[in-house]
Amino acid sequence: VTIGGSGAVGPGVNAVSSSLDAPALLQARPAFAEVAADHLDAVYRYLVYLTGDRSAAEDLAAETFEKAFRSWRRFDPRRGTPRTWLCRIARTVAIDWFRAESRRRRREDTYTREFAHTTDGALFGGELSAPLEQALRELSPAEREVVALRVLLELDGPSAARVLGISRTACSTLLSRALQRLEERIGDVRE
Amino acid sequence: MSASDAIGTERLEALLRGDAPRTDDERARGALLAQLRGATLRAPETLRERVLALAPASGRAPLWRPSRRLVFVVVPAALAIAVGAALVHGLLGSGGPKTVQHGAVDQALSSTAKAPSTSTFGVANGSAAAVPSSSAGARAQVAPPVGSTGRLQHTDASLQIRVPDVSRLSAATTAATRIATALGGYAQSVVYRTPQSGGGAASIELRVPAQNVRIAIARLAGLGSLVSQQVSVQDLQHDFAVESAQIAQLRRTEAALAKALRDPALPGAQRVLLQIRLAETKRALSQRLHARTGTVTSGTTARISLVLTTAKSIVPAARHRGRLGRMLHSAVGFLALEGTVVLYALIVLGPLAAVAALVWALARARRRRDEQRLLTA
Repeated sequence: VTIGGSGAVGPGVNAVSSSLDAPALLQARPAFAEVAADHLDAVYRYLVYLTGDRSAAEDLAAETFEKAFRSWRRFDPRRGTPRTWLCRIARTVAIDWFRAESRRRRREDTYTREFAHTTDGALFGGELSAPLEQALRELSPAEREVVALRVLLELDGPSAARVLGISRTACSTLLSRALQRLEERIGDVRE
Repeated sequence: MSASDAIGTERLEALLRGDAPRTDDERARGALLAQLRGATLRAPETLRERVLALAPASGRAPLWRPSRRLVFVVVPAALAIAVGAALVHGLLGSGGPKTVQHGAVDQALSSTAKAPSTSTFGVANGSAAAVPSSSAGARAQVAPPVGSTGRLQHTDASLQIRVPDVSRLSAATTAATRIATALGGYAQSVVYRTPQSGGGAASIELRVPAQNVRIAIARLAGLGSLVSQQVSVQDLQHDFAVESAQIAQLRRTEAALAKALRDPALPGAQRVLLQIRLAETKRALSQRLHARTGTVTSGTTARISLVLTTAKSIVPAARHRGRLGRMLHSAVGFLALEGTVVLYALIVLGPLAAVAALVWALARARRRRDEQRLLTA
């Protein structure tokens, strides 16, 4: 599965759940293995953007799917798509990781760790230009997160807002500002 | 000016949906989005294997979770059940009139003779009122058979009698007092009113010996036209027996304690304890004796509340509802009761729920603020 390609997101992934026929969805509930195979790359990519650390993203993605597997029976397709549900779990896992990192950094009193593991090479994908790659690194995790959800994972506004726990308007504003900052950073890097 | 200054959120959403850019700014933004989407970033194979090893191909059955649409079924169903329960209650409660007529009185009284209970029976405005006041047979008919069981029973009667005019009202009031006195009782209170607007009324509280209550009621009923009559009999024999047993037990305890206290070898501390117990026993005995005296007095003296009036409609005419009317009345009453229960529950649980919701909202806001701080750092 290629995330970002034209066929990356299956039809109906971002459909509003209320417009779906609930009994039909229940009957068409996919197996967890199928969902994992379909959305692993998306979740991994989301976590890379959120954490800015591929190694951490890999661990967090594994933890996300373990948690998802344990609570798979509670997943209700009527309340959202599997991708949205997985992103919410991934976000919770990542927030815990951020907290732990924050505590660890305070303990070690080293604030220069940012992207220490991944300063060499492409973090967000080899096809990105160097200025864009650098600009993405300079965004905050919150800004990269909304870019990942809306642009890369192609979640619609309500779904992304649900993952972020904010209103749809706030989500749109956040995305607009993030892209604006991204363009400004790209300009700065080029200069 | 950057591109996003010129591109509103609506156009940005349109670009995300794949709409064609219209301006140079939009083209620049579209190119940025395309570049971001064009990058391939795949999960490592080790991660893929690890994740896919988690779950077998066949998943377990999902948990059943109620749909939000269920509220459209549950709420009407609850309302239907509430109304249905009220109707059933109304149906069951509309069987017969509340007052027991004379035919049932004998049975009620005989049951009071067997077990401690309370019986109430009465005559509503109507048949009894039509009985000629001078008829001895009628007196016997309106006087219920009370006070003849040989058991200790408290009788409480209330009569409403209509007299033709004020002069007859005065005479009837005097006669009622005399009837009580003649039967060994007395008038506890007399309230006599003759307002200027005409008419008049007298309320008389009488006490007569229990064995004469039947005669008293019969004679009082003869003072005018009987409007209504209600007699209740409460059996006090059981109370009397219980109090007597308690008194006997307390007396035995008192004697035993007194005997123990006479022992000269009794240690001082124990003596004090026994003296305290003896004092408590005497106090309890005094209370029980007082209560039994009250029971005996109540059982040997009947209370008769007599209302004499010249007004034609001192008592509102009893509304004779049909079975459907009674059923509806009872159902509405039951619904009102249900509403009261729900209202009380809301009053009690509402503040608790509000506090819980506030705590939850505050905790959620704090958690989100912390998360935002973490992610914007």
